[in-house]
Amino acid sequence: MQKKILEFADILRKSGIRVSTAETIDAFEALDLLSLDEREQFRDTLRATMVKRGEDVPTFDELFDLFWSGFYDSLRDSFGDAANRLGDFGVDLDELLKQISQMLEGMDGDMGDLSELAQAMLTADLNQIEQLIMAAANAAEINIENFLQIGFFSRRTLEQMGLDDAGGELRDLAAALEAAGMDPQQLAALREFIDGLMDAARKSVRNFTERELQKQNHDYMEKFRRETLLEKSFYHLSEEEVRKMREVVERLAQKIKNILSIRRRRLNKGKLDLHQTLRKNMALGGVPFNLIFKQRKKDRPKLVILCDVSSSVANVSRFMLQFCYSLQEAFSKIRSYVFVAELGEVTHTMEEGDINEAIEEALEGGGVINVYTRSNFGHAFHHFWQNYLSAIDNKTTVLILGDARNNYNDARAWCLRDIHNKAKNVVWLNPESPSAWGFGDSVMDRYRPYIDVAEECRNLRQLNAVIDRLIL
Amino acid sequence: MFESVDHVERELASHQYICDKRIATVVFLAEKLEKPVLVEGPAGVGKTELANAVSKVTKRPMIRLQCYEGLDEAKALYEWEYSKQLLYTQILKDRFTTLMDGASTLREAASLVGKEDSVFFSDHFLVARPLLRAITSEEAPLLLVDEVDKSDPEFEAFLLEVLSDYQVTVPEIGTFEARSKPIVFLTSNNAREMSDALKRRCIHLFIDFPSREVEEQILAAKVPDAGEALIEDLVRMMQRLRELDLKKTPSISETLDWARALLALNANELNEDIVNDTFNVILKYEGDVRKAQGELTKLLEKKSPESPTNAPENAKPDAPKKGALH
Repeated sequence: MQKKILEFADILRKSGIRVSTAETIDAFEALDLLSLDEREQFRDTLRATMVKRGEDVPTFDELFDLFWSGFYDSLRDSFGDAANRLGDFGVDLDELLKQISQMLEGMDGDMGDLSELAQAMLTADLNQIEQLIMAAANAAEINIENFLQIGFFSRRTLEQMGLDDAGGELRDLAAALEAAGMDPQQLAALREFIDGLMDAARKSVRNFTERELQKQNHDYMEKFRRETLLEKSFYHLSEEEVRKMREVVERLAQKIKNILSIRRRRLNKGKLDLHQTLRKNMALGGVPFNLIFKQRKKDRPKLVILCDVSSSVANVSRFMLQFCYSLQEAFSKIRSYVFVAELGEVTHTMEEGDINEAIEEALEGGGVINVYTRSNFGHAFHHFWQNYLSAIDNKTTVLILGDARNNYNDARAWCLRDIHNKAKNVVWLNPESPSAWGFGDSVMDRYRPYIDVAEECRNLRQLNAVIDRLIL
Repeated sequence: MFESVDHVERELASHQYICDKRIATVVFLAEKLEKPVLVEGPAGVGKTELANAVSKVTKRPMIRLQCYEGLDEAKALYEWEYSKQLLYTQILKDRFTTLMDGASTLREAASLVGKEDSVFFSDHFLVARPLLRAITSEEAPLLLVDEVDKSDPEFEAFLLEVLSDYQVTVPEIGTFEARSKPIVFLTSNNAREMSDALKRRCIHLFIDFPSREVEEQILAAKVPDAGEALIEDLVRMMQRLRELDLKKTPSISETLDWARALLALNANELNEDIVNDTFNVILKYEGDVRKAQGELTKLLEKKSPESPTNAPENAKPDAPKKGALH
């Protein structure tokens, strides 16, 4: 049992759940206190001691089923089938076994002459069979990595188990019983039963190997996906991937919130507040035992986002809007605008709606702009300069998302200059690589002097790097 | 002392806390293993209530520490009572003078006073805050550290000593060890991921929204005046509401509030009018209310949504809305 629990802990670890040695010890101690008969209780105990994150519970449940119960159940099913075949002949298993042992006594032998496996199969001792299969699998050194290996490892396990030998023994037994004059009806039933047992054993071993593969590789696909997703450019994302990406983004936003909280604490202590200190220490005879400091203003950055939603960068802005939506909680004030040539505010849409609706709506221009024109950054900036410049103060970070492909229109860089002068920071995330900036109709080089941080940002990994600079 | 998991479940139920086996198992283990329990789950599913119920069942006094951003050692562990120390110094001024009489040099005088240090740094001048109180309490208490995720990461460090060894170290005095180990509950809404060090020391319990049967039982236990029909209607509706994509999913505490509100309004069953009037008891955002109102007929249906009969008729009215232009 101990070994099995350790093995289980190992499998949990492989699936990305942190289980420390101390936690395994806890599990053992807890299990000592409880009876193991109740499956639910056993599961609850392991879960309470080994899994410490709500998100991991579903993974745990899946693995638990895979590891602890499924195999025994399937064993019972397949060997139950074999026993049912006996039923077709109107023969009862117990009676048959009794008869066999009686006959064997008459022939100076007993069941003990048979090999362990043959015995276990004949008496349908499922526990023993399970043990034997596992021992054999161990000896076969199952180290299965993909489904093509299932057949190979199943065969090897069967060899280690000696199933063919056991089958031979059982058939010999039947032959001996025939010679001793067993009832033909019963004999036929026995033979059929033996065939059934052999089938069941083969099926069980195969089932065992398949499970082994699932256990080892649970989460494997998941991990693979996440890794590739990080590298993947925003241009090519399916619905499903967008959903996944969202989860990762939410985690990122959470991380930023944590950083903000620490930063705020460090900033908490400002200058000595003489007035408050005197007031507070009146009770102590005016001796300043407790010093009160002025609280510094919470330096939560404000954020103004200008997001290009023209068709060339549609997938990037979708993701970026997603990111902004998640950031909304971390930043005290967030205002979002979308533009192609015209520019419109979508802050309200983002605040009100559910994330997907809000993004869809913003992508369609939020009902305020026409998205079917060609992008014109100069015009959009000018529009912003005219109408929304008041949204920017010296605590504001302006985040611009776009490719700066201006369709040979007037860049009007002076608008961005004024924005830059008013704001704390101007950050531009461009899906194109820096080598393409300023070539063709790109006006990135014209804007560059007024941008504090200009980054290529096409995938999550790059975004990750930008975030560090954006906040710290 | 609990004898078995079933025993825990029964005892909790007798104090009006209805729970499933999972929760009972964890409580049982926490008591036996003397380990703290970290309870996570959405707001309002009864995390704090569980600690309350356990304290009643085990007849331990409950000491509660509400966490918040900026909670520090002085508020959570202990604090020296400066004013009292100062006052005593003033009063005992004469004694000091006599004490220092024999000293000829400043150094000697200082060392004489220094010998009496322990007078001023003793239990007498120590203000015990919840964590220290939990350790020094005569009766073994139940310590509830509520919303531990709201505290700062540094605060976790103080907690670690308390949680793993049940002791508190005060540098001037020494280490206080618990006379009898308290049962500790920590609750978290997952606003922040707790450190692995803390998690490792705890048994973990995740309380989710209750199943239909459990929720009905809870309602029956907590709001006994509500009729069976009303409870059934209420719970069915709440279960469906939780399936909607809402900003704040209503939890069991909202169900209870709602049941009480409906009782106060003398409603014996749910209908559209009364639900519309009382929606703001369970839904805390304007957007959520609007969304739920849109789905109201579906939410109120007596039969489960899977049943094919009478579903189409009810669902029709607001279908033609999109695509007016195309």
